[in-house]
Amino acid sequence: MKTRKSIIIVLSLLLVFALALTGCTQNNQAVDGEKNNNDSSFKAQITFNGSSTLAPVISAIATDFIEGNTTWNNVDASFPEENIAIYVSAGGSGAGVKAVLDNTSDFGMLAREIKDEELEKIGDAKVFMLGIDALTISVNPENPILQIKDDLTTEEVKKIFAGEYKYWDEVESSLPHKEIVVVIRDLSGGAHEVFQKSVMKEAQIREDAIQSPSMGALVTKIIENKDAIGYASFGMVNQNAGKLIPLKVDGVEATEENIVNGSYKISRPLIAVKRGELTPEQKAFMDLVTSEKGADTIEKMGFVPVR
Amino acid sequence: MYRILDKAFSIIIKLLTLFSLLLLAFVIIFIFKESFVFFKEVSIFKFISGRIWNPLSSPDKLSILNIILGTLYVAFVAIVIALPIGVGSALLLSGYIKGRRRTIIRGIIDILGGIPSVVYGFIGLLVLVKFFEVKFDFPTGESVLAGGILLSLMVLPYIISTCDETMEKVYNSHLSSSQALGVSNNYFIRKLVLVESKKGIIAAVVLALGRAMGETMAVMMVIGNAPMAPKLLGKAQTIPSLIALEMGMAEVGSLHYHGLFAAGFVLMIMILIINIIIYYVKRSISL
Repeated sequence: MKTRKSIIIVLSLLLVFALALTGCTQNNQAVDGEKNNNDSSFKAQITFNGSSTLAPVISAIATDFIEGNTTWNNVDASFPEENIAIYVSAGGSGAGVKAVLDNTSDFGMLAREIKDEELEKIGDAKVFMLGIDALTISVNPENPILQIKDDLTTEEVKKIFAGEYKYWDEVESSLPHKEIVVVIRDLSGGAHEVFQKSVMKEAQIREDAIQSPSMGALVTKIIENKDAIGYASFGMVNQNAGKLIPLKVDGVEATEENIVNGSYKISRPLIAVKRGELTPEQKAFMDLVTSEKGADTIEKMGFVPVR
Repeated sequence: MYRILDKAFSIIIKLLTLFSLLLLAFVIIFIFKESFVFFKEVSIFKFISGRIWNPLSSPDKLSILNIILGTLYVAFVAIVIALPIGVGSALLLSGYIKGRRRTIIRGIIDILGGIPSVVYGFIGLLVLVKFFEVKFDFPTGESVLAGGILLSLMVLPYIISTCDETMEKVYNSHLSSSQALGVSNNYFIRKLVLVESKKGIIAAVVLALGRAMGETMAVMMVIGNAPMAPKLLGKAQTIPSLIALEMGMAEVGSLHYHGLFAAGFVLMIMILIINIIIYYVKRSISL
């Protein structure tokens, strides 16, 4: 009796696994079939994944592209009549590279330099430089430091973020004795990497700095807290003009001109990366992104486009 | 015919149970597999006893004692705040309020449990944190206390419904005897219902603790995410917030990436250990 029971259990288990496995293969076949039907390699959808800074920009351009054309044959008469689908998801620069490596996305979005080892792993990589984002050292408009000066030296910024200056009156003796609230992005993120390289160098960031989950949260913190200071992205500052005030660094203001000519040094590139050759439909979209119209959108979102 | 149907039913049920067990096993195996790479480089002991988490420097700087303490501290504060309120509400619901009003109140409390955690986080960030900054003149409102208060709101529905279920059973089964003895309702609830529901209350604490330790979004938004030794009014970091914060940026396959899996593994083990301890505590309490 007992053996019969166990045989039944084993058999039914096998059945379940067999069913599960056949289910998988059938799915794959269906997907493959679909691909084969559509004119060898045409893909109606393009996927982007990566930096949360770049994602809204690509989304905006994609929305224009889809609304303007609706179906692919309107983009180019040689394409089949299929709805355009462009999916953009934000997961951070690292996730963008991962998506390209795993082939889960067509394009990866990065808001930092792409590392040599990453390029090596991807192999045949196509890199599109779309724009530049700068990190401005921003404070709350009610911060009394603005009445005294609108400029910090790199050394001062470094001391503030490293925790050598704990109170505002240590920066400038006439300021009130209030604790400096330092807001940063997560230590391993693209933005922080840029800041560490161009300002902190070897110095460690103070341990009790608030790590914001996103650039939006960082900016909100500065808007909400009078004693806060943080590296808000240039785009975010433009979108929230007046609610937080960027300071000059070493006398250089974070303006578009200074960012492009490199005199404002806390900046990072906005990059899209793809493995292998672009298909004609991907090229059609990327042509728009890199066109004058795309540059306008990038500028409208507050970043500095590469023209 | 019916015998065959019975048999088929029991087999299906068994298979479904087996499936959920396998699911748990796969999750554990996967996380362990990913973190094993890390543990080959850095010993487990060093990982959980060191105090510095700095993903930018050498692997020796990846250790999470402060973060483990932060996780426990926030969950503990949440339970301390939520338990008296929750047990009190459950007593009120099971002993004093009957009929339609009870259904309505239970419904409202259940809605509290259905609010997405990011909404709690938003309220926490804009109301709670702001309140600390303005009223108490903190440099920053982000603190273990803010996280604890927010989490206590979030675990309250779990505590109330778990306690209420047990208490209602105890109340109904002893009601007629206590009325026959002429004991007052207050005395009956205080001395009998409350004491007899010990197991239910402990179960509620376990459930709430598990949820509080694993809660990510809301906590991440109000706790400051600074990996330092946690103080009640200071910033801290929890394991889920660490993972959520850094996973997107970690380079795939790097030690940092596997370190985050290792942190997740530690969290899972912690929750397992708590569940096992509570299981034995529960068994030793005689009902």
